Amino acid sequence: MSFQSNHLCGGTELSESSCSAQYIPHALLRPFVAVLIGIMMSLFLSGNIRAAEHVIELTAEETRDDGFGNKLLAYKMLSHKIGGADVTSRYSTEATIPGPTIELTEGDTVKISITNIIQGIDQVVDGITSKQVSIHVHGVHYDILSDGTLKVINKRDDEGAGAGLEEYHSIYEYKWNVAPGTAGTWAYHDHNFETHNGAEHKGLFGAIIVNPIGGPQYAKEYVLYLGDDAFWGMEINGVSKKQSKHGPNPTLSAKENSRVRFHLIALGTDLHTFKLNGYQWFDPGTHNLINQAAIGPLEKHVFSVKAEHSSQYEDKNLSNRLLGMRGKFNVQ
Amino acid sequence: MFSKREDQYLDDKDKKMNTRKTSSRNRPMIQWARWMVLAVMLLASSLALAAVHNISLTAQTLPNGQLAYALGGSEAVIPGPSLFIKKGDTLNVTLTNNTEIKVGFKVPGLSQNSAKVNPGKSKTYNIKAKNAGTYAYHGNMDGREMLGLFGAIIVDKAHGPVDRYVEDNGNKTPVTQAQIDKQFVLYMVGSTFWGTEIDKDGTQKPLWANPNPGAVKDDIVRFHILSIGPGHTFHLHAHRWLKTGTDEVIDTKLLKEEFDTHSFTIKAGSGVGAGDWQYHCHLIAHMEAGMHGSFRVDDVGGNGASVVGASPYGGILLGPRQNEPGLVTFEVSDEPASWFRSARGDAIVKLSDPSANGSPLQGLDIRTKSLEVMKPGSSVNFIMSDTNGVHTISSLIWPTGAHHMPYDQSSAYRGGGIVKLDTPGLYVFTCKVHPYMFGAVVVDEDPSNGLDIGNPQQNYKIDLVTGIKGLATNSDLAIRLLKTFFIATAPANWLDYSSGTWNLRFPTIPLIISGPPFTNTFESDGFPIPLSDLNASETLNAGSIPAHPGVGEVWVNTQFEKTAGKYKAGTTTVVDTANWTVKRKVALPQINNNNPHNMWTNREQSVIYQTQWFDNKFSMIDRETGALIKNIQVGYSPSHVVTLPTNDDITIAINGENGISVIPAGTMNVTKMLPTQGQGHISANPHGHWISSDGSKIVTPNINTSDIGIYGAQGGIQARTPTGLGAPGAHPIAIGMMPDSSKIYAANLLHHSLSVLNEQGQLLKTISLLGEYNVTTGEADINNNGTKDNGILPIQSPVSPDGKAVVIASTGGSIVIVDTATDTVVKALPCDPGCHGANFGAKQPTVENPNGGYYAYVTTKFGNRLTVVDVDPNNDGNLEDATIAGYVSLVDTNTTLKDDTVSGLPGFGGQGVLAVPNVYNGWVQNLPAAWKQLLTDSQLNPVGQSN
Repeated sequence: MSFQSNHLCGGTELSESSCSAQYIPHALLRPFVAVLIGIMMSLFLSGNIRAAEHVIELTAEETRDDGFGNKLLAYKMLSHKIGGADVTSRYSTEATIPGPTIELTEGDTVKISITNIIQGIDQVVDGITSKQVSIHVHGVHYDILSDGTLKVINKRDDEGAGAGLEEYHSIYEYKWNVAPGTAGTWAYHDHNFETHNGAEHKGLFGAIIVNPIGGPQYAKEYVLYLGDDAFWGMEINGVSKKQSKHGPNPTLSAKENSRVRFHLIALGTDLHTFKLNGYQWFDPGTHNLINQAAIGPLEKHVFSVKAEHSSQYEDKNLSNRLLGMRGKFNVQ
Repeated sequence: MFSKREDQYLDDKDKKMNTRKTSSRNRPMIQWARWMVLAVMLLASSLALAAVHNISLTAQTLPNGQLAYALGGSEAVIPGPSLFIKKGDTLNVTLTNNTEIKVGFKVPGLSQNSAKVNPGKSKTYNIKAKNAGTYAYHGNMDGREMLGLFGAIIVDKAHGPVDRYVEDNGNKTPVTQAQIDKQFVLYMVGSTFWGTEIDKDGTQKPLWANPNPGAVKDDIVRFHILSIGPGHTFHLHAHRWLKTGTDEVIDTKLLKEEFDTHSFTIKAGSGVGAGDWQYHCHLIAHMEAGMHGSFRVDDVGGNGASVVGASPYGGILLGPRQNEPGLVTFEVSDEPASWFRSARGDAIVKLSDPSANGSPLQGLDIRTKSLEVMKPGSSVNFIMSDTNGVHTISSLIWPTGAHHMPYDQSSAYRGGGIVKLDTPGLYVFTCKVHPYMFGAVVVDEDPSNGLDIGNPQQNYKIDLVTGIKGLATNSDLAIRLLKTFFIATAPANWLDYSSGTWNLRFPTIPLIISGPPFTNTFESDGFPIPLSDLNASETLNAGSIPAHPGVGEVWVNTQFEKTAGKYKAGTTTVVDTANWTVKRKVALPQINNNNPHNMWTNREQSVIYQTQWFDNKFSMIDRETGALIKNIQVGYSPSHVVTLPTNDDITIAINGENGISVIPAGTMNVTKMLPTQGQGHISANPHGHWISSDGSKIVTPNINTSDIGIYGAQGGIQARTPTGLGAPGAHPIAIGMMPDSSKIYAANLLHHSLSVLNEQGQLLKTISLLGEYNVTTGEADINNNGTKDNGILPIQSPVSPDGKAVVIASTGGSIVIVDTATDTVVKALPCDPGCHGANFGAKQPTVENPNGGYYAYVTTKFGNRLTVVDVDPNNDGNLEDATIAGYVSLVDTNTTLKDDTVSGLPGFGGQGVLAVPNVYNGWVQNLPAAWKQLLTDSQLNPVGQSN
């Protein structure tokens, strides 16, 4: 809902009224506009209207040794097929933080499996600590066996790969129904490693972007996870879908006057105030222009702007600001 | 291009517009008539509907000491009664205060008089509900309303749908109040959910702490999520709803700091089916602290019943409903000794007094407010309601084999915690940032026979977080830990030298331990023995002052001393080393100076830099006048401060966070925080750092990751070296460095050892401070000289400015001297309980030592005198003659200059200590001439003539 209402407006020079004018045509014109849109949509979507089936394989592994033996965990895309067509090449071949961004469309279905290749996972656990990793997703529909939690939570099964508190699965598969009404950007993350809270704060997180059928295209999409000391981001080419620039505080790039979309999700313990200096955007689901957003862990905040000038994105939280939690948005 | 649902959104909007436009197209007369009708209708409807609600609330104290509101004569509940009214209504709330403290009734967002009510009094609050919405009400007590005085007011529109929900096909369907099957209020406070269920007929049922609300699939359920205090995000698995006032579909919602509300409606299990769907706060620290429950969605045909959580009326000591899960609650506090204060701690102390006639606990002599007793299956709850700092709530001790242990969080935070305890025995909790904060819970089915200290199924043994498993509770170590708990948490058991006597008293209730004390014998039924067998009464003598004067002043953070003009504890006591008198007390009442912990000074020695460890503040004090210069926000729980010898920039270890804040010399604002760990890695939580004499390296003891970090002065991680030889949680806490920076010394609080590293960070040696300590019998001989000494729980460990000695203040009650030539322990001197801080200052020349030499100043938390140590009185380099030169009382006298009146715990809480002038190599060279002329040549050049 939120995305479509934003995509034509952005930048600082547009007033709210000029934006709104594009969205609320005169009442008398409404029926004609609606018909026109209907025709356009059916033309645009012809041949592409069928819901796609995604088959996805992820792994979880250790990554980003700080040089002193301290490691983080990350997801890696092993394989992604859409209706049989292999799109794995759009992802990094490495385990990344954030994990692969999975683009879906309302009406799709997903089978997604996790394999745990964290070292030491096959060692016997003492019955207290889970070594299992899972995928718990937000936003889309799934039944209780695809919750990605431990049995102590869901009363059914340890729903992940590796040794859980009670069950061991070498691979665990989840089924998602990307039902109508689930459009939006949502987190997926581990819920099982070590405790029933999982290891999302150690790097096991990623995003799904659920587009509405016939949703607008963007030249670039940026996923920015707001952590407790850095943004963890990536850039996605809107045409090739190729994902790049993974890691902390990435420098994002855009062509001047292109439309780009930011997908913010927070994670960790801190509360944040996000700013993209010199830009305004619509508060999702409203027609209110804002220039900063309060965001707490696992909330999402998605907006689009027209890239008009280079800028900097940053968190205004005092400690995070002092730690340098910011990055460049280069417009050329 | 519009999606189908966006069209609907616009259609709705259009309908509203069309309504207005239709009327504008009619002729003027008709229009006028319509407006009249409308106006009359509006007036009539508002007259008919604007109800006045007269509500009678009482504020009460619950059996576990928490506070709660009760409606009329009904039971007091948390959250308080949910008040459902309509927009335009008036609410007259008459509050009667049946508690022992002042309470109020405040509704942020709705204007009203917010005055408080004295105990035993009543007051009426008039509130006009001008706008629809969900509002929090609370007791207006500077945070302590988090103890239970909070509730919800739900103001709905007078007519029409009250909300919309998202169908499984994406439609957004409006619902009226009549269509809602049930409602839940879930209040997020600390790290606990407090629930109420509201039936279709309006009946309210308390669900208490972390309940499992229930519903049947496809029930229309409205949730009211509220919070007061630190912020949260609410997440419910597998359900989606609308962000209030928008068309944004969400499944997680921020509830911002101080107070916030969020109401939403769902169709239970819509699109996802039945299941136990977890709901939780999505802040990692709060998840780890236990802030979760399940929304139980039954298949159609199920009863959809909710499962009630632990209640303040349930199975706890003296609780009224022993067969229900109970809840004991600790307030996390900045108050000395009562850092984890049972909500009924004051009552327990009073009830257990020998003179408490008629009390069920008479004579048990429980002097601590930090001990609770409850039945298996009950829960312990923590609320950070009386602190300005960040903390963890972490297991230190638990019964061997207990479930859910160790309880811990991966970083310090603001909030609280809750954990259910099933296994009988003793559970001790601490804060990793402030490791002398203790709270203890004994879980026991029948406390009347004595308290199980270990797991009865496991020979009454306990586990320690340091990796010791199956420790017999009749061992010296276990009994020592018990004694430490009952001393640290009870000021009546502290050593007050100004009183002349020490009355050490422990509870008289039998403790069931593994067997007879200090033996290897186990008894299967346990061995009952009251700790009061260890009671002692002795005459205290503060000792004599040092025979020889020092140079300058010694600033001591008497962190627990209380003064009349401020709520928070702590002063700084300035000792004049010319005559060993207390020259000044600096309390800083104007900023409510909170637990001043450690200090440093600028090159001019004119400004004292002061951290406030239980806060996020750092103050600058004029050394000569004791006046406040500036109070600065620097990050949570700032612990130590050191200047860079090269440029006088200020570096502050931010113990509750993940870096070192930097204030450039001559300025008063933090410009950056140097990270102490790689991005995304676990917070290091640095405590007592040091800086190399050339100013190139900042060395931190990282308490959360149990390693030593070496960082460039401008940032950059050069080394991270684990300490503790592989044992978990060594807890390195303070650093000392050789004057030429060739070696780094780090005291490991919970590993009872001193790590020695070279300047590249390679571990050279780990010196055990336990010696041959026998955990069962207590036999120990740290320096093989026949005396039974050890350096248990070491804290500060500075190296003397001339590089000869490391002096370690060990909180178990000893001062350990290490010779840096051999890196061996050469001496152990006695110290008061809670020995903590140590630092060196210059000593005036004597006949024995014409070079002057140095005194080590050692502070203690649970005593109120300063210990002055001379590590090498004859200056021959042999430290075996190290001795206590004397003691200085830290209690103020009638000649002491003060900015506030001491009102309690006089001179207690000795922690950070700083001698002025600062005579460490690298800093001494920068002293102004006036200070230099007080020092000898060797003091001015501590590492020889090369400097």
